[in-house]
Amino acid sequence: MKGRLVLVAAAVGSLVVAGCSSSSSSSSSSAAAAGGGSSASTKACVASIGFEGPITGPVASLGTEQLHFAELAVAMDNAANNTKITLVQGDTQLQPAQAVTVTQQFTSNANILAVVGPAGSQEVEAVGGPMARAGMPFISGSATAVALTTGSYPTFFRVVSKDSVQGPQDANYIVNTLHPKALMIVDDQEAYSTGLVSAMLPIFQAAGIKVDHESVSQKVTDFSSLVAKVTPAESVVVLPWQIAANAQQFGRDMAQEHKTAVIFGTDGLFSPGTFTISGSYVSSFGPDITAIPADAAIAQAAQTKYGSFGTFGPPVFAATHVIDEAISSVCKAGQTPSRANVLAAIKTTNEPTSILGQPISFDSHGDLVNGKFFLFKITPAGKYQLIPS
Amino acid sequence: MTVDPDSQQPQDVIEIPPGSGGPQVGADEWVARQARRREYLPSWLGSAQRAGERVGWWPRLAAAGLAAVVLPSLGLGGFQLQVGIDAMTIALLAVGLNIVVGWAGLLDLGYIAFFGFGAYGFALLSSNQLGPNGIHLPAYVSLPIVMIASALLGLAVGLPSRRLIGDYLAIVTLFFGEAFVEFTDNVAPSKLGGANGITGIDPIRGFNWQLTSNYGYYYLLVIGLVVIMAVLRLLESSRTGRAWRAVREDPLAAASMTIPVNRVKLTAFATGAVVAGLAGCIYAAQQASVFPTDFDTPILILIYAGLILGGAGSIAGACLGALVVMIIYDGLLRSPAESGYLFYGLILLTLLAKLRPWRRLAGVLAATVALGLAAHAIAKAISASAVAAGPQSGGWIADALRDWVIVPANAQTAGNWGFVVLICLLVTLVQVSSRWRTILLPPTLCLASFVWETRLVQEPSVTRQLMIGAILIVMMNARPQGLLGQRRVETVT
Amino acid sequence: MSFFFQELVNGITTGALYALVALGFSMVYGVLKLLNFAHGDLYMVGAYIGFFVIQFFGGSASLSIAVPLLLVIMFVVAAGLVGGLGVAIERFAYRPLRDAPRIAPLITAIGVSFFLESSALLLFGAQYRVYNTSEFISLSSGIRIGSVTIDSVQILVLVMGLVLMTGLRILVNRTRLGKQMRAVAVDREAAEMLGINVNFVITATFLLGSALAGIAGVMGGLLFNTVTSTIGFIVGLKAFTAAVVGGIGSIPGAMLGGLVIGVAESMVTGYISSTYTNLIVFGLLIVVMLVRPSGLLGRAQLQKV
Repeated sequence: MKGRLVLVAAAVGSLVVAGCSSSSSSSSSSAAAAGGGSSASTKACVASIGFEGPITGPVASLGTEQLHFAELAVAMDNAANNTKITLVQGDTQLQPAQAVTVTQQFTSNANILAVVGPAGSQEVEAVGGPMARAGMPFISGSATAVALTTGSYPTFFRVVSKDSVQGPQDANYIVNTLHPKALMIVDDQEAYSTGLVSAMLPIFQAAGIKVDHESVSQKVTDFSSLVAKVTPAESVVVLPWQIAANAQQFGRDMAQEHKTAVIFGTDGLFSPGTFTISGSYVSSFGPDITAIPADAAIAQAAQTKYGSFGTFGPPVFAATHVIDEAISSVCKAGQTPSRANVLAAIKTTNEPTSILGQPISFDSHGDLVNGKFFLFKITPAGKYQLIPS
Repeated sequence: MTVDPDSQQPQDVIEIPPGSGGPQVGADEWVARQARRREYLPSWLGSAQRAGERVGWWPRLAAAGLAAVVLPSLGLGGFQLQVGIDAMTIALLAVGLNIVVGWAGLLDLGYIAFFGFGAYGFALLSSNQLGPNGIHLPAYVSLPIVMIASALLGLAVGLPSRRLIGDYLAIVTLFFGEAFVEFTDNVAPSKLGGANGITGIDPIRGFNWQLTSNYGYYYLLVIGLVVIMAVLRLLESSRTGRAWRAVREDPLAAASMTIPVNRVKLTAFATGAVVAGLAGCIYAAQQASVFPTDFDTPILILIYAGLILGGAGSIAGACLGALVVMIIYDGLLRSPAESGYLFYGLILLTLLAKLRPWRRLAGVLAATVALGLAAHAIAKAISASAVAAGPQSGGWIADALRDWVIVPANAQTAGNWGFVVLICLLVTLVQVSSRWRTILLPPTLCLASFVWETRLVQEPSVTRQLMIGAILIVMMNARPQGLLGQRRVETVT
Repeated sequence: MSFFFQELVNGITTGALYALVALGFSMVYGVLKLLNFAHGDLYMVGAYIGFFVIQFFGGSASLSIAVPLLLVIMFVVAAGLVGGLGVAIERFAYRPLRDAPRIAPLITAIGVSFFLESSALLLFGAQYRVYNTSEFISLSSGIRIGSVTIDSVQILVLVMGLVLMTGLRILVNRTRLGKQMRAVAVDREAAEMLGINVNFVITATFLLGSALAGIAGVMGGLLFNTVTSTIGFIVGLKAFTAAVVGGIGSIPGAMLGGLVIGVAESMVTGYISSTYTNLIVFGLLIVVMLVRPSGLLGRAQLQKV
């Protein structure tokens, strides 16, 4: 009926308005103020960066931490480089279909030159194609699946090492140093976790260790039944989880049921304020940024503005910083930033130091060069102590 | 008795021409009077509705289909196309859900599982997942297989509906939906992909062509939607459709009328499942990957929001409601600038529609403006930081509002409290008498704008979800039949 | 054998939690024939309130008042506020729909649940809030029988659960209000005609049920430590299952159902694998619904013509 056509036309009309206004100038920003200040250059360096992350949804705590660090990086870099970079956020809820929609939103916006994120490996797989077609470089701070850097996604980079580095390194340490006769490994039914488990299991099985492979959803917060299952022979419990708070609860349940097994966590558990079970091991792609003197300012700023943080924020800071520097270098060379020259600049990134405590440069597939994992043990005081390798 | 072959009513209803004087032989008066008392939207919208109905359902469908096909050439970019594709997928699902919920009255809270089943089915038949080289069937083979399999699954899920009524059925189907996500996440990860899902799915292909671009899938969805709606329209006025409506209204009476109630319920489930399966196939092909989390309960809530907004029981309503919800949810509320237009536009529209007479509306608007300006001036006088940050919406709205809305520099706590107070005010507004309502409206509007600028616009992702919840609550309370549905009276024993 | 008992203890504790939430759920269903999907989110609000009470008194590491007093205040405040929230939801969202088709309040309940979750995300943020119970209730307190440990929080949950359930049974079976609730549950119109103030009874039911959910929320926070906006969903689902398995509308049924679900969960985790726990619990529900739709202790619903 006409009423329906009227309504449809109204909806469509508003969509067209949205489309026109979004494809022209993107004045939308809900993040860091562009520092700017008085600039000596004749032309201010103006650009936009997109952020894709799970801002709401099941892992909202990770996504908001990533968003906060991205905003922090943009603010600090704008002040340091005299640029006017704005951050546009896109919520993916860790769902690949939504990541595709957000990616389409970003690629249609001519002002957005690069994207930080997405967070999940499945999302990278879903958006890799559209990003490549649009020539949009994107750097992830948390997608660790091995398959992502086999050449299928030419514009993809990551500032964290992949599962095939962390998994075997941790597994070998457990086998060679901790010598368990049996162990329990619990995945949290997310791709990050299952990827690490499949990297570690063959090493355990080859060493003849009896493995109890369990699986809980990230939504579960009661582990008492699972903890009761830990036998005295199982001296190590491996938790390649993303939510450190859950691991802390697991550790408490173990203490309450007088289990003596040691928790071994991967980088998702690296969260000095949240996961503090004494005697646990945690591997991380970088040293604790609160312990790096050069990062003191950043850590302080993050702490004051956003409260405690874990392991997901700093890599996103690093990724955003890489993009900011790339844009800034393009501007300094006198060119107008575009996706093509920003992509080229990112490829030649060579930072001697970074927030992650190691140099950042990328290999031809987008992987971090010489990314390694550091191992920490938690002291009775709850501090993370680096284990020298 | 006359039967008008061009009548716009379903064929089984006979319209008694007015002024015919006295009962007509062979005409059911009660049914005829019921048919004539159709519910239209109020005022000018209703006249538009009636005018549209004179045009006829099929021409309307053709016009809408044509408009959808022509739309991309108006210059829609990749993002708008993607939003359109997402919206039409949900619209297809809403149209399918309408069969089960709107026509047969069976509350199915696990409908999303059929969607997932169709997507996974297509994925398994069109990727490298199964077997050494995988199965790569062309679309004209895999689509019918998946649709038939979905129908069988629908029959299986519908089997409990024979013995369960109403709420119990809702529970079982809800758990079936949850079980599906758990199943695909945990069971047989080597075959079903587990948490990593299935990637590398072939696009829709066959007979030497394949759909790889968003344009292709957009047009495919338009065609699919139009075809499915046409088929359902034919079903609606067929024996099966009448049987569904009879079972919805009163299963016992229907059974007494020799309608095989159980078989009819199963048919409803199966048909709904087929539509969802088709939607799943197209979804899997377009995304080229499927994951268990794609089929979780929040998507189901989106479908329901669309169906409820548009009106359960009406095909056009289901489609329109889903399109509106998704276009707003996915398209407009992703960026603060455009959502400002939507928010203020919606408030003004509601005021225009609901406040009569004109003087009252003018008074409320004037009072709101005055109150806002006064509050802003007072706040500025008290402390400069109270108004330090400007409105976040983009464009001319920000300029218009700069001196009207108070946006402090550190807005989070104030905004949160404002949100709570706003909810309380809204609840009060609904309960009080008309005079108090007029008095309370200006402060509520100022507060709403305050909360919007300080909190809601900063977190568009959370605002979208608040909107969905609000749609469900408000529609059910204010207009349960939705925009285009018919009000039902259910006799509760 | 001690493994079995440990799992049993764990199961009964979580079962008591589910039972409390299921109780409120069942009561509301009995009186209004409404599946209140928002019930799980009331649990979540209760958990947050408990957290903020702890913060108000100095935080888990440096409490300014004695622990028993803190617990009492947490429970009372959570019960009061969540009870009030439940009453408000009933008044605003469900009462106008008393005579509408059954689907209407159901959909509204889904909407309220979604709205509550999103509001919690907006107001409280996405980061996990942690109770840190072990800082003020030491982990080593509690009893130990052989190698089976029951710590103080678990004892607290069990004792409080028992007390509340017994209290509710007394209320429903021995007091006048209880009798009115039962009458309204059987036939609302007849009860109204007999002079019972149906609105008051329904409000009281919602108040009690929501208060129970709030208390369960605080207990959940003490037991599980982490609070975020999505915890209500999964607990609501389990409580749902418990109420239905036990017989929806029946109060002893909700208690039994909660225990059954809690023990089933821990036994499946312990003896089979945690991977399949949720799947088996959902499967259990579907089996019960197919074999005995009225649940274990429920009465068969007669369909009136």
